[in-house]
Amino acid sequence: MSRVSRRHFLQQSTFAAIGVGTATLIAACSGGASTAAPTTAPVAAPTTAATKAAPTTAAAPTAAPTTAAATAATPAPAPTTASAAATVAPAATAAKASGPVTVNYYLSGDVNIRDLWSKSLIPAYQKVQPNVTIAMTFSEHGAGDQTTFDRLAAAKQAGKPSGVDLWETGNYLQQGGQAGLIEKLTDTEIPNLAKVSPTVLGQYNSYGVPYRGSSVVLAYNSKVVTTAPQTLDDVLAWVKANPGQFTYNPPDQGGSGQAFVTRVLMMGMPDSDLNLFQTGYDQSKESEWDKGWTTLKDLAPSIYNKGFYPKGNVPVLQTLGKGSINMAPVWSDQGLSYLAQNLLPPEVKLEQISPPFSGGGAFVGVVADSVQKDAAYAYLNWVLTPDPQTIIINTIDGYPGLDWKYMPPDVQAKFAAVAKDYSFGFSAKFDTDLNQQWYEKVAGTPMPKAP
Amino acid sequence: MGVGDARPSWSKATPRPRVAGSHLREAALGLVMALPPFVVLLALIVYPAVEAALFSLGQVPTDNVAFSTGMHLIVSKTLTLEVYRQLFASSFFLDDLSITFFVTVLSVVLVLVISYILALYVRFGVGPLVAVVRSLYLIPLFVPVVIASYALITFYVDHGIVQAVLTHLGLGYAPPIYHRAGIVIGEVWTSIPFAVLLLGSGLDGLPQEMVEAAHDAGAGFFGVLWRIVIPLNVVPAMIVVTFTFIGVLGSFTVPYLIGPNAPQMLGVAMQAYFSSYQQPQPAVAMAMITFLLAAVAGGVYVWATARSGKAL
Repeated sequence: MSRVSRRHFLQQSTFAAIGVGTATLIAACSGGASTAAPTTAPVAAPTTAATKAAPTTAAAPTAAPTTAAATAATPAPAPTTASAAATVAPAATAAKASGPVTVNYYLSGDVNIRDLWSKSLIPAYQKVQPNVTIAMTFSEHGAGDQTTFDRLAAAKQAGKPSGVDLWETGNYLQQGGQAGLIEKLTDTEIPNLAKVSPTVLGQYNSYGVPYRGSSVVLAYNSKVVTTAPQTLDDVLAWVKANPGQFTYNPPDQGGSGQAFVTRVLMMGMPDSDLNLFQTGYDQSKESEWDKGWTTLKDLAPSIYNKGFYPKGNVPVLQTLGKGSINMAPVWSDQGLSYLAQNLLPPEVKLEQISPPFSGGGAFVGVVADSVQKDAAYAYLNWVLTPDPQTIIINTIDGYPGLDWKYMPPDVQAKFAAVAKDYSFGFSAKFDTDLNQQWYEKVAGTPMPKAP
Repeated sequence: MGVGDARPSWSKATPRPRVAGSHLREAALGLVMALPPFVVLLALIVYPAVEAALFSLGQVPTDNVAFSTGMHLIVSKTLTLEVYRQLFASSFFLDDLSITFFVTVLSVVLVLVISYILALYVRFGVGPLVAVVRSLYLIPLFVPVVIASYALITFYVDHGIVQAVLTHLGLGYAPPIYHRAGIVIGEVWTSIPFAVLLLGSGLDGLPQEMVEAAHDAGAGFFGVLWRIVIPLNVVPAMIVVTFTFIGVLGSFTVPYLIGPNAPQMLGVAMQAYFSSYQQPQPAVAMAMITFLLAAVAGGVYVWATARSGKAL
């Protein structure tokens, strides 16, 4: 009796084990299949990781005080609304007829950008347009961007709306635009786009509204640096004359150091090649960087702590705040908010040199399959008006998306020293080579003697 | 237990086929039971590892976007060692490799020596201080590595606590942080608790009578240590060496935060090649090199545990 039941038990558990095994196998296989499908679908080469550090990292430091109070209800996207409307797609213009409308807004960035929208901009719009609900889905540091991209691509293949109407992100807008997933915008849909600097708009080929921006500027302690450097040569001369008082972060670890390296490398490049470096890729042209590398290597012994480059935008600011150094390239918004929080001594001044360091806008794109385009256009047009722009400046110390001349005089005065045009960095592919060559040719030179 | 004992004596008449049959069945059953995790292992680890190995030999899979969109790919119809050849031809990579060896070997030696001293003290020491040490050496086990790294930086960096004290005493100071020495300090600090635990459990198994007998026969402390304790505690020591070696070899957080900008330890370099330089192929090749080195250490571990199984 007992033996029979034992065998019975063993048989049963064997079946169970086989069952579990098969289930796992099937799960593993199907999981693989489903992820494989969308990645092969979209544009040929999504250069995934190289999203430039530009505006998102810029946001990092201010996050600290606000994080705790993160009420920001990030409601799940409401695809039902979108797909319900999809069935009446031809009559999509009916959205104009003041019925309640939900616009699904996907956002990637740091938590301070989430708070900017959820606590300031969206509530402000609610007062202007009570009928329009902006449903926000937040992806911290763009962690969910590949998924969103795959979703848009899959929706296009299936011929159905993706349920995403607006998307704030980086390089994916450019990629998505080329793949027909993101709308090209002009001032016919969004009249206020005419007040945006065309060079900034061109950064992503009009596949998004640059509603805010920031750039890298030079920060210096005016107690020590009595005459402010005006050009890159001034900066280099000062660093050599005052060894140990300047540093920047490695180009792959933050946009501020990257902008400095880029500016130095531009010394050896003819202006005619600038466009290629900013938008294309040609490895053979990289020999034009040699002059810049030599300059940076010459500079290494004069860098803080005998050639130490703090690993990130924020560590550089902290080194400046501690008083260990007296000059560094920093992001304008980070520098301004550090000054406002007294994390930098008040003697620290920010200033744009000439020719300027690079900067960038933060872009919101309109998804091509959106069924709420009119509401989305109206919303973006509102964001480009002085009131919300002032909110952006006051909350995160960003640059306005509008050209400076459309901003109130007090704002223009506040940003007088930095409110100049900024230049653009290199293309993603050039940047990856730049990163490696910096490590090889600047940091990888003989190591300071270990104690 | 019950079934075998309860078997009536007549069953002895036909013992062989029964035993063989049930053995076979149990073996098959065991295999089936082990199959699900094995299948998962195969799908999630072995298959990607083989794909990665082939990738580092010039076979670029078209359906793997992370691999096929890399910069400066070496694509070949046949297997090629070109990626490895280029790596070893670059002094940049050789510097990375040599700092990895320096840090790993030095850390292993220091961890072994310091942990042995601590374990001996906890095992043989007397007095109230032993209990304190017993709980103190465990602390690094409960501090996340990131926090510990930042703490070490604040402690040792210029304008840090150590410098403040030394300057007060009129002594000079060169901060080890952002140098090789700093990584070693960090690695040793994080590896000590586990090593002491392992060595300590080995020491706890030492027969007290043997130690006392040796004492009675006139052996001093070092005599007992050299003739009895160390020979009987070789296996835990080997395990500590292999675990520390593998752990430090593939470590990322400590060298990333405390180490110099360049050269970098392999873990940091891999990450840089993979994401900052967008060159997955050399990154994967470095992973293969790390894997081979760790496999050698793993072999030592298997040998040591097999030996300990025999000893028990």
